[in-house]
Amino acid sequence: MSTFSINRRQVLAGIAGATALPGLAEAQTATPKPGGILKVSHSVRIAQLNVLQLSGPAEYLAVDMIYSGLTRLDPQMKPQPELATEWTASPDAKTFVFKLRPNVTFHDGSPFTSADVVATFKAILDPATKSPARTVLDMIADITAPDPLTVKFDLKVGNADLPVSVAHANARIVSAAALKEPLINLDTKANGTGPFKIETFDGSRLLKLVKHTGYYRPGKPYLDGVEMYLFPDLAAESANFLSGAMDAMLEVQQADFKRIAAAPGVNALRVPSGRFSNIVMRMDTKPFDDIRVRTAMAHAVDRQMLVDLVLDGLGRPAKDNVIAPGYRYLADTPEVPYDPAKAKKLLAEAGYTNGLKIPLICSNRPAIRSQVGVAVKQMAQPAGFDIDVQTIPHDTYLANVWRKGNFYIGYWGMQATEDAAFTLLFTTDAAFADTAWNNQEFDDLVKKGRSSPDDAERRAIYKQAQELMVRDRPSIIPFFQDVLTASRSHVKNWTSSPLSRTFYVEDVWVQRA
Amino acid sequence: MRDLLRHPTGLAGAILLAVVLLAALFGSFLAPHDPQLFHPATRLQGPSASFWLGTDQFGRDLFSRILNGARTTVAFGVSATLLGVGFGAMIGITAGVVGGWIDSLIMRLVDGLLAVPDLLFTLLIVTVLGGGAGHALLAVAVAFTPGMARISRSAVLSVRTREFVQAAVARGESRAYIIGAEVLPNALGPLIVEATIRVSFAIMLGATLGFLGLGAQPPSTEWGLMIAEARQYMFRNPWCVAAPGAAIAIAALGFNLFGDALRDLIDPRGRR
Repeated sequence: MSTFSINRRQVLAGIAGATALPGLAEAQTATPKPGGILKVSHSVRIAQLNVLQLSGPAEYLAVDMIYSGLTRLDPQMKPQPELATEWTASPDAKTFVFKLRPNVTFHDGSPFTSADVVATFKAILDPATKSPARTVLDMIADITAPDPLTVKFDLKVGNADLPVSVAHANARIVSAAALKEPLINLDTKANGTGPFKIETFDGSRLLKLVKHTGYYRPGKPYLDGVEMYLFPDLAAESANFLSGAMDAMLEVQQADFKRIAAAPGVNALRVPSGRFSNIVMRMDTKPFDDIRVRTAMAHAVDRQMLVDLVLDGLGRPAKDNVIAPGYRYLADTPEVPYDPAKAKKLLAEAGYTNGLKIPLICSNRPAIRSQVGVAVKQMAQPAGFDIDVQTIPHDTYLANVWRKGNFYIGYWGMQATEDAAFTLLFTTDAAFADTAWNNQEFDDLVKKGRSSPDDAERRAIYKQAQELMVRDRPSIIPFFQDVLTASRSHVKNWTSSPLSRTFYVEDVWVQRA
Repeated sequence: MRDLLRHPTGLAGAILLAVVLLAALFGSFLAPHDPQLFHPATRLQGPSASFWLGTDQFGRDLFSRILNGARTTVAFGVSATLLGVGFGAMIGITAGVVGGWIDSLIMRLVDGLLAVPDLLFTLLIVTVLGGGAGHALLAVAVAFTPGMARISRSAVLSVRTREFVQAAVARGESRAYIIGAEVLPNALGPLIVEATIRVSFAIMLGATLGFLGLGAQPPSTEWGLMIAEARQYMFRNPWCVAAPGAAIAIAALGFNLFGDALRDLIDPRGRR
């Protein structure tokens, strides 16, 4: 467990090395001290605790502490054993057998068995449950329990990523007894196998968790409890953190990050991620049916300046490839330099000799969308694009523009696998397809890569898929945004992850002076 | 007019108003920089020789943006008030002239609406209609209507029983003529005073809606929106919040003081 922990820390780029690094060294050498309460602030409400359905940023932290899944992703996005200790796949990746951890108990003391796993996955696969995990697990044909500590998955099509898919934040194991009750009970009550259990839950204010003494990892968690406080006002949240009233901030705003990182007694963490904002250009409509217009747009965006202006430098420029550094099968695709002259020439070749006047729609939430829109408008002006930025309410955007309009700003989180990233927006049958790319060759490559259990072969297939994507440019992905979090220096091992789904709070301990 | 400028409040109001109107009319020509142009090398800086009020998060010149936004902001306040006064006056004068049970009915409805605070009422309307500058303007106008209706009705009532109105009635003039030629010109004074003061409230309501993300939208230079966008950069450059805030205060104060002075002058009891 200790080497794993060190690996995890290595990928977390600490800003303000002077303050972050001594903290790291100490965390690795000092012996963890049990006890203490951790107060975490967050700015988005915990509306529910139904692990099968929820999707809020603070809700993910809550269920990561309350529940455990069969596997859990480490920061390299590799599945690590949780409730399953080991797993084997058939050569065609169509049958998987998971061995379960013995002597695990739920918070109410009842034992954890394969029946709970079967009941949970059956519930996820039931469309009535409305679980976001269903989209990555719907290739499961059947799940059976040969004995109390073994589960067997039979898949409709081969899928080598199943151990990653079962690590989905919404696929954590709920007890079979709880699933027999009406589903709505899970909104406020939780009986998991995670390191902490609920003491009080008030969705408008506070979630109080206490240590689960029967947690299966001996000696963990170190903390006696965790309290999550809601601060709807961002300025109030950072003020409370800086004054010491809170021990950790779940998410730090870009604009505030440098100020908070520079404050004394604070460890601020930057976790490189694959979150992105993209410029959607629907390919079945004019003018974007012409690759020259799309390429012109790509060269009309100064990616490094966008990172500096919109992300305050807390991100990385991207090259229109949805696969960010951090995914396992990233292929090196060419840089897309800012070149207004070239863009202007391409526009002229496409028939827009006097430039192109077009409205760009941005939802007002989160604010980063219209910031990207405003910045792109300015950058693309010398290239001959006359962009009219229109910021509209998020509800109107969802109802009238999203997946209907032909030029708007999208915003997406990082996915656990390449397959999930491709099938989110870009394949013909993608869950939120809005590019109208519908490229058969790309679809076939994604399908082939999915069922290929051979690592080298998958890498080659996914490389082709990424090359196709940057060739055709179904949308412009100008940057990847970092995940930002912070803790006071007496808090050791506080962390986040590129997907913002796993937080490893059982490893956190506090050392107050 | 000379009386107004001799009045200390009136003078102060007139000066502030002149500054604001100058910015509203000629702001775009006076601005030293393009209000939308990025200066990435000089982001979030305090006042300097080239950027008089500093720069915002994109490195845009705050002074130019405020000058540019003056027209939007003042136009919003004035047109929302004019609309509100128009609706309100129509309702109030009708009620006052017609009288009887129609008057009672209209006024009870208006009283009911008056019980709802302006800002709350505006928010309610914008939430129903959806955000955007046009809807925000309409919302402020509608929120102003009941108050203006009540004021115009009382102005009409005080005039209605005067001799010159009774003379017109005795002459057998039509009701439309009586309203248009006899009642309205004599009831206009209080309406103008009230409208002038209300412009400042309209500007503040507009800025509030812009701040809450329900009014003007980026990249507009509306002052309330500028504050909202700059709020998260407040600790890095206080000027990007303070400057548009001061601009709103000056505009609102100008209209308010001017309106106050106007009222003092029109009210015969206030006159020395």
